[in-house]
Amino acid sequence: MKIMVCYKLVPEEQDIQILADKTLDFSRAEWKIGMYDLNAVEAAVALAKEGDQVCALTAGGDIVENSKLKKAVLSRGTQVQYSVADPSFAAADSFYTAKALAAAIRKIGNVDLVLCGEGSGDMYARQVGSLLSGQLGWAGVNAVNKITVTEEGLLVERNLEEEVQVLALSLPAVLSVTTDINTPRIPGMKDILAAGKKESVHWQAGDLLPEGRPRVQTVSTLAPEQTERKKIVIEGDGEDQVLALYEHLRKAIQ
Amino acid sequence: MVKLNQVWIIAEKEEALAELAAGAARLGKSVCALGAGDRALLVKALSYGANKAYYAGDFENGKTILNYLPSLTAWAREKSPDLILVAASRDGSLLAGSLAAGLEAGVLTDVVSLEVEDGAVVAERMVYGGAAYRKERVGQDPCIVCVSSGLFEARPRGESQGEVEEIPFVEPAYQVRLVEKRAKEVQAVNLSAAKRVVAVGRGFAAKEDLQPAYDLAAAIQAEVGCSRPIAEGEGWLPREAYIGVSGVMLKPDLYIGLGISGQVQHMVGANQARLIVAVNKDKNAPIFQQADYGLVGDVQKVLPVLTRLFRG
Repeated sequence: MKIMVCYKLVPEEQDIQILADKTLDFSRAEWKIGMYDLNAVEAAVALAKEGDQVCALTAGGDIVENSKLKKAVLSRGTQVQYSVADPSFAAADSFYTAKALAAAIRKIGNVDLVLCGEGSGDMYARQVGSLLSGQLGWAGVNAVNKITVTEEGLLVERNLEEEVQVLALSLPAVLSVTTDINTPRIPGMKDILAAGKKESVHWQAGDLLPEGRPRVQTVSTLAPEQTERKKIVIEGDGEDQVLALYEHLRKAIQ
Repeated sequence: MVKLNQVWIIAEKEEALAELAAGAARLGKSVCALGAGDRALLVKALSYGANKAYYAGDFENGKTILNYLPSLTAWAREKSPDLILVAASRDGSLLAGSLAAGLEAGVLTDVVSLEVEDGAVVAERMVYGGAAYRKERVGQDPCIVCVSSGLFEARPRGESQGEVEEIPFVEPAYQVRLVEKRAKEVQAVNLSAAKRVVAVGRGFAAKEDLQPAYDLAAAIQAEVGCSRPIAEGEGWLPREAYIGVSGVMLKPDLYIGLGISGQVQHMVGANQARLIVAVNKDKNAPIFQQADYGLVGDVQKVLPVLTRLFRG
């Protein structure tokens, strides 16, 4: 079985600077694999048996060529890493991102199972998985928190709001997994060194020619107005200090 | 505002359907409900303002929404609505992406505002873990929007109009069958409606250490919530209890963060509180910059005293 895990590289939220005009500055931001995608990577690696292949795929701007980030996904147990770069992917909507991934999956060929995270770490729209299955014409299931390989295909457990569903599913399929499915590993030094020797394949968008264009245009991205807070901070946890906090609270919530 | 011609609505529950019907009537000239698995719900849609309803079929013999995705998508392609509003849920999210793939449509989720401007759909949503709001626009293409409860206000049921039409079944290219279904224990957490919330975070070392936080909550009639790692990593509280960008968004009178550092992903769920109070032993925790009142100290020492004072 060939398993493809899709992931997105996203800026570290803590490093995003808010400028005076409320726009965001990413120039000092470290990039990382989206936190929800780490569960998909772990699920793919955990599912693989002897003879199976686990590949990782990302589409994005120039950042996808960063070798440290390539190693980041390879050190987590994937065997081959694919990336597709194009300036238009850097801020693409879910629709066009899925188109790029679908084009790469078709080019790579013989993929049996695609795993996605619950949502991207930056936009968290939770749409790429179901767009991808729709575009590929494959079975697509979200909210998956357990996967078992069977003779006919897969048995997957879906965690819905009020019930748990167990579904029998044919392959090929696209699954979006929950964050409850596993605890992603933290790669060790040995894994990181080994990752440097693994295969990485890099394409430009022109190599794939994904059809279409983004459907959603961004009008603006602005930090919200902050509510003014009093910022009265009491230092120390003695009885007097707690009493001081209590007095403030008591007045405020009366 | 010039309205769109055709707005469709999809929901699994009556309350959500009623809200979407009201919203759709504001945005579009004609409102159609679409669904599978619950025909009676579509009949109700007709009394909430839908002019027409399309029904794909029952959830029988192991069928779920997954078996009807091709039917619903094919029908939408044939009728080409301008906008489809889908009630946000896990099934709704799956359906939205599926429809967007089939209709080559733009898809928007978690919107906090939704308008039609010059024939385009314009919406706002939170991005980057709450660091910003993004305004997005879908112009020439059809648009699918996942709508959470509360965006639109439902109107009372009125006279029923129109009819429910059965749509043709389109066999999926894949096989999918429901093997088993288990009801979940529905957690009695209703944080989003709570007036007072006590939130616990990483500052607690073990589940057993949480008791003083529950005691304080009981003393001030507050609900208990938490940061994401407490619900997801540790599992000390149910998933429904975590506050933040992918969890519950609060709007209480009082929020007390205990051992919460104040990361943006959590604080976006809390910063609409009228009053924010924080207790954390780390003087440099970002939460103190976002709080009205803070105390630098050990929660285990502070809480019993504070609770005793509130109990009088």
